[in-house]
Amino acid sequence: MTELFTIIAKAFWCGCAALGFGILFNAPKRALLPVWVAGFVTGLVKFTALHPTFGVGIIGSSFIAALVSASVVVFMASWQKLPPSIVAIPAVIPLIPGIFAYKTMLGAVRLTASLGDDYATILSTTVHTGLKTLFIVLGISLGVAIPIQLFRQRLPLGHRSKIPS
Amino acid sequence: MKSLMVTVETKQLGPLLLDIGIALMRAGASSDKIKFTLLAIAHAYRCEPNLDIGAKSISLTLRSNNDVELFNEIRSTDSYGVNFGIIEAISKLNQTVANNPLSVEQLKDEVNQVIKSSHYPRYLVLTMVSLAGAAFCFTVGGSWIEMGIAFGATCSGLFVKQECTKRRMNAYLCTYLAALAATVVIGLLYKVGLPERLEYAFTTSVLFLIPGVPLINCFTDLLEGEILNGLERGVNALIHVMTIALALTTTLYLFNFQG
Repeated sequence: MTELFTIIAKAFWCGCAALGFGILFNAPKRALLPVWVAGFVTGLVKFTALHPTFGVGIIGSSFIAALVSASVVVFMASWQKLPPSIVAIPAVIPLIPGIFAYKTMLGAVRLTASLGDDYATILSTTVHTGLKTLFIVLGISLGVAIPIQLFRQRLPLGHRSKIPS
Repeated sequence: MKSLMVTVETKQLGPLLLDIGIALMRAGASSDKIKFTLLAIAHAYRCEPNLDIGAKSISLTLRSNNDVELFNEIRSTDSYGVNFGIIEAISKLNQTVANNPLSVEQLKDEVNQVIKSSHYPRYLVLTMVSLAGAAFCFTVGGSWIEMGIAFGATCSGLFVKQECTKRRMNAYLCTYLAALAATVVIGLLYKVGLPERLEYAFTTSVLFLIPGVPLINCFTDLLEGEILNGLERGVNALIHVMTIALALTTTLYLFNFQG
């Protein structure tokens, strides 16, 4: 029960983070509720997937969260008649791996110090966190792009020949 | 006479389409979104556009339905930003034009209104983005005290970024100074000897600077085959990330911060 509460609390704050970014990006007022909801869904999916019951890794959970959130956004945006990207982008910002990026940077700084016994450990840890950071960002970008590309508006085929004379 | 009026009106459409395209580009729309919008509006006015969307420029040739060249121009922009309000308003305008075409003059007025549309008040942006920083801190496991510190640090970083942007400083320098302002607050608290572990606040206070929109647009452009635009956006985002990392490194050195 406590774990469920923790997941919901984190999802709530993910929604708040998404809302903050919605305002930073000057999203219209009517998009702010969908942004919060999408941010909440992002947090809910990510932290549920990360739970030991499911045992998904951080890269997989970030990708799944971005994918589910962007899919929800596509339907909410079509219902509210909003461009999906203006809701999807603030909603997935909470997935950005800030801690890993920081640890990578910290490791890189330590690597510039003199060669010690633990140099190999620091090097491998830094490469590990750096690659994790890279793949999480790739996962988020793909997770958002896939549903938006699948359901986006398209101009009808052969539109050039259909211009009324 | 009517066909002459249509020609005169459609000639005004070219510069207006470029205005719309550049406004979308400056607001952070993907190349595909810009292309889709300009094609749809041009078709609503029975014109055939040929478009080339560059990384910072749009080239447009507009022909009438009887294949007369009406307009041929390139326009470029020197700055990028993110303004979802403009993207949404132009998207809505696009739907309006498709269902019930306005005169070009009316469309121009509407577009000018959209471009001049205001942002949220500065205090609200500062408060909400700082709250977002605190929220990030909670999600990575920060305590309530750390959340408060992340709130203050984010607020100071965003304030510096707004001031630098107002002075039209280089975008990467703005990001560096903003990240530095945010992390220096944490570094000072660390030096004062605050008993809390400040690692979470330190990392989450700069997350508002992460170029999320260029990163997502980079992939959207690459998937759409706009390889050069995608790469340009990706490299731009990467340089921003590197400047944030550089600011973190500066603070780590300045305060001998161990997290």
